[in-house]
Amino acid sequence: MSRRDPSLSDGRLADRRLVNVAWAGVAALLAIGVLLAARSELDDRSRATRAAEVQADILAASVSAALSFDDRAAMREYLGALQVNRAVAAAAVYDARGQAVVVFHRPDAPSPPARAPAPGARFVERHVAVTRGVAEQGARLGAVYLETRPESWASILGRHSNLGVMTILAFLLLGVVTAAASQLQHRARLLSAANARLLEEMAARGEAEEALRQSQKMEALGQLTGGIAHDFNNLLQVVHGAFELIRRRPDDTDKVAAWSENGIAAAERGASLTRQLLAFSRSQKLELRPFVVADLIAEMHDLLVRTLGPDIVLAVALDETRAAVMSDRTQLELAVLNLAINARDAMPDGGRLTISTTIRAIGPGDPVLEPGDYVDLSVADTGDGMAPEVIERAFDPFFTTKGVGKGTGLGLSQVYGVARQAGGVARIASTPGGGTVVSLLLRHSTATAEAGAEPDESLPILAPEGGHTVLVVDDEDAVRTLACETLKLLGYRVLEADSGAAALEVLATACPDLMLFDYAMPAMNGAELARVARLRCPGVPIVFASGYADTDQVEAAVGGEATILRKPFNMETLARTVSTLLRDAGKAGT
Amino acid sequence: MSERRARSARCRAGAAMVLAGALCAAPRAFADNLELAVKATYLYKLAPFVSWPANAYAGPNAPLTICVQGADPFGPMLERATSGQAVGGHPLEVRRLARLDANSGCHIAYVAGGAAQSQAQALSAVEGAPVLTVTDEGRGGPAKGIVNLLIEAGKVRFSIDAGQADRNGVAISSKLLALAVTVKR
Repeated sequence: MSRRDPSLSDGRLADRRLVNVAWAGVAALLAIGVLLAARSELDDRSRATRAAEVQADILAASVSAALSFDDRAAMREYLGALQVNRAVAAAAVYDARGQAVVVFHRPDAPSPPARAPAPGARFVERHVAVTRGVAEQGARLGAVYLETRPESWASILGRHSNLGVMTILAFLLLGVVTAAASQLQHRARLLSAANARLLEEMAARGEAEEALRQSQKMEALGQLTGGIAHDFNNLLQVVHGAFELIRRRPDDTDKVAAWSENGIAAAERGASLTRQLLAFSRSQKLELRPFVVADLIAEMHDLLVRTLGPDIVLAVALDETRAAVMSDRTQLELAVLNLAINARDAMPDGGRLTISTTIRAIGPGDPVLEPGDYVDLSVADTGDGMAPEVIERAFDPFFTTKGVGKGTGLGLSQVYGVARQAGGVARIASTPGGGTVVSLLLRHSTATAEAGAEPDESLPILAPEGGHTVLVVDDEDAVRTLACETLKLLGYRVLEADSGAAALEVLATACPDLMLFDYAMPAMNGAELARVARLRCPGVPIVFASGYADTDQVEAAVGGEATILRKPFNMETLARTVSTLLRDAGKAGT
Repeated sequence: MSERRARSARCRAGAAMVLAGALCAAPRAFADNLELAVKATYLYKLAPFVSWPANAYAGPNAPLTICVQGADPFGPMLERATSGQAVGGHPLEVRRLARLDANSGCHIAYVAGGAAQSQAQALSAVEGAPVLTVTDEGRGGPAKGIVNLLIEAGKVRFSIDAGQADRNGVAISSKLLALAVTVKR
C-alpha cells in the first residue's frame, strides 16, 4: 500500500515552479543589468571620446598661429597647459606635412606617433586617441594629436560596481530561495513518506482488527461450546425419548400427540440454538445497520439462559419504545454474550443477571458523548464486583483477572469497541462485593430498523381452494420427501425433482405456481437453477432453502429480492412462507 | 623641380630654428635668402589671422592681394611661396607697386619704401584704409607698419600695432597677438 498523497506532490511541483521562476527572475535581472552596464559603458566611452575631442579642438584652435609661424615655444606652452589635465597621457602637434613638431607624453605613456595619424577619434584599449586637423580660414596648417590615459580597471569596476552588487544580491536571493525550496521539498518528501507509512499501518491495523474480531468470536464460541453440547444432549434426549415412547405405544393417540409435541418443542429449541450459533460464527465484515436493541436481546434469550447455566437467574427488562441503534448486529450480540460470560464467571455460586434497555438523554457537558438520545443497554450482575484499579483497566485489551487459559482479556475491550462504533461508550459501575453494572450507551438512530421478513401470521396456512402447484427441488431425499409431504398435507399439488436437470425437465412441460429450491446441490445449485427457471417461467416466486451459515453469500448469488427459508424449518414456517408469496404474487384465492 | 622644392623646404624648416645657417651650413648670401624666404611665407601666413571689412573684397572669390611697395627684396620667392594658396576662399595674388595709396586694392602691403614713395609716405598713404601694413625692421627705414618683422634670438618674429590696425579697420586675431613680441595698443 504505497499510495501517495497527490496534494504533497502538487506541493513539490509548486516549489519547483517557484525556484524556476526565481531563476528566471535572476536571469532577467542579470540580463537587464548587463544591458544597462553595456549601455552605460558605451555612454562613458562616448563621453570620454567627446571630452578628448573637445580638448583636441581647443588645442587645434589655440595652436594654429603658433604652428603657422613655427613658434615652438608657444606650442610647448599650449601643450604644457594640457598637461594640467591628468587625463591626458600624450599630445603632439604636427605641421602641414604631417611631421611631429612638438610632442609631449607622460613617463608611463608611450610617445605619440611620429607622423600625424588620420583625423578622427578612436577608442582603443581603455583610452581615447584623437587626431584633429589645424586650419585657419580654410588654410590647412597641420594637425594635433591627443591621447588620454587608459582608465584603470579599478575605476571601470567602480563604475560597474552597482552591477556587481546587483549580481551578488541576485545570487544571494536565489541561494536563499533555492535553499528554502529544497528544504520545503525535503519536508514534503518526509511528510509523504510518513503519510505512506501511516496508510500502511492503518491498513495493517485494519486487518489485525478484523482478525481480532474473528478470534474474539471464536473465543466466545469456545466458551459456549461446553454448555451448548450439554444442552444439545438434553434436547436430543428429549427427542429421542419422545420417539422411543411413540414407537412403544403407537396406539395411545393422546399420548403420542403429547410426546410428539415435546419432541417438536425440543427440536425447535435446538434449531433456534444452531441458528444463533451459525449467525454468530459468520465471518463477515463489520456492517453498520439500524436495528432494535430490545429485539436482539429477546432473540438471544435462549442462548443467554444456556450460557449462564441453571444457577443464574436471567431477568430481562426491555423498553417499549423499540429504539434503534446503528451498529453491527453480530458484534453487539457478541458483546452481550461476552458480558454474560463475564457475569457468569463472576457468580460461581449463582446469582442474578439483569439485562435492561432504557432510553437516556445525554445533555451537553458529557466528556465523551455528544448531546442526544442514547439507548442504555445495561448488564448487571450480583457477583463479587471489581476493585477501582481493575475497573480502570477493564476495557484494556489483554487485561484479564481470569486464570491462564480461562480468558484472553479481549472480551471487555470488544464490548468497548462496539459501543464506540455505535457512537457511544461503555461504562462500568462496580464496588467490590456489590456486583457490577456494565452500561453500553449506544447512540439512538433515527433510521428505521430493518425488521426480519416475518411470515404474515394472520394468513391461513392451508392452501386455498383449487390448490396451487409447488415444485420442490432438493437432492436430499429425506428433506425433499418431508417438504413434499408437508405441502401435500396443506393441500398443495406437488411436483418434485432431485436435481437441477430433473427440475428443468419438469419445467419444460408446465410452470408451477411456486418453486422451492435447495440452495446447495451438486452440478447445478439453487441460484444457477433459478436463473434458468426465471427464463422459463417468469414471475413465478422462488423460495430458497439454505442450511448454510452465510446468508449473505446466498443472497448475493440469488439476488436481493429472493426469499430464503433457513433450514431446519418447521411445517408452519414453510406453510406461511408459501402462502405469503403466493398472495403477493396474486395467486391466492379471493 | 620636386627635389629642389624638397631641399628648399628642409632649409626653410631648419632656418626657422637656427637662422644662422649652422644646420644648412650655407654661405652668408644663402642665409640672407633664407631669412627672406621665411619673411615671404610670413606675409601670406598672416592672412588667416586677419579679418578685413566685407567691402575690402570685390566679390566672394576675389583675390587677396599682397602688395610689395618700393624695393622688392623677395623676387620670385614670394610668388613661389604663395602659389596655389588661398585664404577663406580668396586666392592669393602678388602685386609690386612703386606707390601705395588707399585705392591700390592691397590687403597686405609690404612697405619697403623706394625712390617714388618713401616708407613713411606709403604708410601714411594707407592710413585709415583696410590694409595690413608690414614693415621689415632694418629695411627701408625706421617707420613701422601694423606688423613689424624683426629678428629675435635668431628667429623671425614680429611686433603688432593693434591701435593702427583698429584705425585701418582690420581685425587681428588674438592668436596672432599672442605670438607677437610686443603689441602696441
